Amino acid sequence: MTISLAVPDILVARAKSGDLEALEALYRAFETPVYHLALRILRSPEDAEDVLQETFLEVVRSIKQYRGEGHLWGWIRQIASSKALMRIRRNQVRATEELHEEAAAGPGGGGSAIPARVDLERAFERLSETSRAVVWLHDVEGYTHEEIAEQMGKTVSFSKSQLARAHARLRGMLDEGAGP
Amino acid sequence: MMHCTMDDLLALRAREASAWARSHAEGCAACQAELDALYQRIAQLKALPARRPARDRWPVVRDAVLVDRRRRRSRWGAWSMAAAATVAGLLVFRPFGTGQANAADLASIKQESATLEQQLRAVDPDARVMSGRTAALAAALEDRIAVIDGELARVGSPDAARRADELVKLWQQRVDLMQELVGVHVTRASYVGL
Repeated sequence: MTISLAVPDILVARAKSGDLEALEALYRAFETPVYHLALRILRSPEDAEDVLQETFLEVVRSIKQYRGEGHLWGWIRQIASSKALMRIRRNQVRATEELHEEAAAGPGGGGSAIPARVDLERAFERLSETSRAVVWLHDVEGYTHEEIAEQMGKTVSFSKSQLARAHARLRGMLDEGAGP
Repeated sequence: MMHCTMDDLLALRAREASAWARSHAEGCAACQAELDALYQRIAQLKALPARRPARDRWPVVRDAVLVDRRRRRSRWGAWSMAAAATVAGLLVFRPFGTGQANAADLASIKQESATLEQQLRAVDPDARVMSGRTAALAAALEDRIAVIDGELARVGSPDAARRADELVKLWQQRVDLMQELVGVHVTRASYVGL
């Protein structure tokens, strides 16, 4: 995914002063990357749209607190990933995700067996929400294990073991899909 | 023969691997292949196409902003009216010794201020969009009016000994700022079109 995330300083200054046009311009600039991040982690388009909305409600409320230290996308991404992780925690209350993962990945599990040739995108979607979040934040967004652990309220070793476990599962699913 | 685990491969990628993992991976074709596959998976994840949301959520966000602004504006309005009421009460219980002229001036300016408040409400500032510069100007004017309202409210405190002409001056400043604020909203903003 290659999207230009640079926004002019004047636009940020206008948004900070409450200019609705500037706030909308920021929304348009970051709508896709925020949605993409949320969708990859949560998989559900509805959940990803909700995260997009919650993220920008937070952005318009807090933009005055953005001091211009670091890239604006880094600041917005922090809010978006935090909202996505909060939604994972909420979803986990409703369902036991390990069960979901095993059912989805197991042989013939609930009519959603892995197709003969599975690509990486589909294999990634079959990981648990937590695993997807760790892989996406670490491998794609470039977060450190320390940052992920802090955002998730877990330990660094939890983040590391989730990443290793997720990659082992991805490798297994891809091997299985690539078999004769 | 023992090979690198996934933990070892990830540590190799992060350049945090143990001495054993580093030396083993250098001479083991199978582990090199696993490491290459790991790099490829990550590169492919980064290259996944960006998806766009099916629905536009900006209208929901914008409406929330407008509701929030309206709420803050009405809080501010209620506060300034309370300040005006405090001063009005003071005039009743602490009449000025400098004569009827100041009291009449004060009543007239207060009436003017109240009229401007009504005009501002009629303009409905929350339903308008404005440029960053205009929004900053309006916010600065509101801040200055709030400072004057604070001064007027302090007149009610026992240690305050404001002279009537000072009060008139404060109210006149308030009216001037209100006129500017109404002017900003009327001439420089346009309707959102909701």
